[in-house]
Amino acid sequence: MRFPSQAAKKTQLEAACQHTYDVVIVGAGVAGAIIGNELSRAGKRVLMVEAGLGEDITVKGYEEYLQRFYATAVKDNQSPYPVNPNAPMPRGTTVRPVAPGQPETSGYIVQTGPFISDTTYTRVLGGTSMHWEAKTPRMLPEDFEMASRFGRAADWPISYDELEPFYRQAEREIGVSADVEDQRYLDLRFPDDYVFPMRGLPLSYLDRMVDKGIRGTEVEIDGERYPLKVRPYPQGRNGIPNSEYDGGKGYVPVGAVSTHQVEEGERCQGNNNCVPICPVQAKYHAGKTLAKALQTERLELLTQAVASKVHVDPETGRVSHIEVKYYEDPDEPHFVTGNIRGQLFVLSAGAIETARLLLASNLPSTSGLVGRNLMDHAYLLNWALLPEVAGTMRGTNATGGIVDLRGGSFRRSQAAFSVDIHNDGWGWAVGSPYTDLLNLVDDHNQFGAQLRRDLAQRISSQLLLAFMVEVLPNPSNRVTVDPAYTDALGNMRPVVSFSVPDYTMRGVAYARRFAQTVFQRLGARDYTFYDPTDYGYIHYEGDGYIIRGGNHLAGTHIMGTDKHTSVVNSDQRSWDHQNLYLVGGGSMPSIGTANVTLTLSALCFKTAQAMLEELR
Amino acid sequence: MRHHAIDVFLRFSAEVTGFKIVELRGTGESGEYLGTLDRIVGPDVVDELLSAYAELQPREEAEREQLLRRQIFGNEKLGPIARNIIKLWYVGIWYQLPRNWRERWGVREADVTFTVSPNAYTEGLLWPAIGANPAGARAPGYGSWALPPEIPQV
Repeated sequence: MRFPSQAAKKTQLEAACQHTYDVVIVGAGVAGAIIGNELSRAGKRVLMVEAGLGEDITVKGYEEYLQRFYATAVKDNQSPYPVNPNAPMPRGTTVRPVAPGQPETSGYIVQTGPFISDTTYTRVLGGTSMHWEAKTPRMLPEDFEMASRFGRAADWPISYDELEPFYRQAEREIGVSADVEDQRYLDLRFPDDYVFPMRGLPLSYLDRMVDKGIRGTEVEIDGERYPLKVRPYPQGRNGIPNSEYDGGKGYVPVGAVSTHQVEEGERCQGNNNCVPICPVQAKYHAGKTLAKALQTERLELLTQAVASKVHVDPETGRVSHIEVKYYEDPDEPHFVTGNIRGQLFVLSAGAIETARLLLASNLPSTSGLVGRNLMDHAYLLNWALLPEVAGTMRGTNATGGIVDLRGGSFRRSQAAFSVDIHNDGWGWAVGSPYTDLLNLVDDHNQFGAQLRRDLAQRISSQLLLAFMVEVLPNPSNRVTVDPAYTDALGNMRPVVSFSVPDYTMRGVAYARRFAQTVFQRLGARDYTFYDPTDYGYIHYEGDGYIIRGGNHLAGTHIMGTDKHTSVVNSDQRSWDHQNLYLVGGGSMPSIGTANVTLTLSALCFKTAQAMLEELR
Repeated sequence: MRHHAIDVFLRFSAEVTGFKIVELRGTGESGEYLGTLDRIVGPDVVDELLSAYAELQPREEAEREQLLRRQIFGNEKLGPIARNIIKLWYVGIWYQLPRNWRERWGVREADVTFTVSPNAYTEGLLWPAIGANPAGARAPGYGSWALPPEIPQV
């Protein structure tokens, strides 16, 4: 995807402050990019404000991310991206257990517990879509009706069928690879003639081994039987275009973006590195949508500008301008302030940053729910060795999983989950393959040919089942701000309080038993161990578990049908401020067992339509 | 350039990694790794290790393994360095020496855990040893993950 080089030239603060834009968007992640692209293509003048550096606007910048990733000894989610004290981000490697009565302040997010999460989001151009894994399941129809079907949480103000056309738009934009026949389960409905833009990615050899071991077996919950199999995940990465797409028009995948011609990223090559960075841009990231918007030359990009305060006209309740702090050098706290004006404003900085900005702006909220109902999937990891070599550490990060327990009547009493089979082995759980090498060399005293044989045996038969367990909204799980905790520019840092609800823990406890059952059926040796000193350790009904953050942040400005029980309406428009849209995962009133990006993207297409109506 | 040292270093490395000298040379990292050792623990300690290795006479495999364990891997000073050489070749990372080594033979300023260079990561021997590519580089191609792995027999 090429865009004109003059469009890549970043807007200067002074110039930006002299205009009144049709739309001002804060945050250049996937949500902001979709809205920016839709509006600029419809002829509107858009300014995109981004806190991060925006290094990846050209292939050269993207390559710097990759080199930084290669050169670091600890390859966590954020390892390719520059450390930036002026727009800091949470990092899994900095999380520590909380001491009683003391907040955990060593990372960017101040955590008051009781649960301490290692969840992350990325503050660079493209946002967290730079490091996302790019699994794109839709939410189930029943996920939109949690209250009426299961007596839990609230129903969404829109149904699956109302969101369905927007799901298709999101699948086009992201470029989803999947076969529709694999995705019709648990009442997931598609138009009869629908196909995904690209054919599904093949299951890994590892997936097939697991499938062979469990297919035809069942589990029983509350008297209902659930048959097991491994099913491919829909993926936001390029595969083989489906010639039947769009009534036979087909689909052209979007490869790497740059100001000059590059032939790269048109198909996944199996780098097995979706997280933290796809080296060839076969994986979708928001830069691809931004590049389309830049082609219109009606979208301007103001990077290194941290939105610091939303100003509201006290008479009308409308947003008048957004104050930004613009810095030249990420390592220097020096900044200048500017006021950005527009007709409509969009906050798309992610569930935590959007809430943080609203709270730091001290804006009144009728519902009092800004920052509340924070959600993130609770991940439970289970790891084992298969009886034979399975070729682990090859492929894209996750191609298949067990999704039959995403829905069912048991959701009245316990959380649903979906299970990913990790093609990258035990990495997430224990740091494989590095820890395997250290263990074999330092503890097992192996070298030479025996070391090679042991490494191959140990690593290539690894199986990691990652359970993504549903978390429901709870008003006391929340983001706040506190002037005692600020970043280098003096912006207040987010303060998070979170406890994992019992409903989720019942699902977690069942997930552990389910993993043990699957390992039994596979003849796999279970190595799962939950260390009681770990920051994510939770005791529940006599057993201990480690819960990991899912980076699926949601719920801090939930949508609903009235201003007393929700923050935005189903168009993601603020109830309190007529020209302000709060978009992204934060608007979701529940998250089911779907990775949030596809659903929040679909919501943004709906919002773009509403904004165009408003500007007409 | 320490030509003689490189030769012994490569012979030692081949024996302890289980890879052939030509494969080690093919990574392009031998000079960089020997240089890393010289820089961190000093050429005198490196030469001590290489001389100890050079003194091992050619013998039957089982006997050689025992000698390597007694003279090098089981040597209090040289063992941790020998193990670090294996790790360098496998993943391109220098791991900080154990605390008791530092306390006995002195703290080295450059002795922290780090990846030697971007290339050292992508040239790691771990990946071919397990029939995979280094995550994020040398991609095997679309759909290759669906086939059984090809792990070289040794």
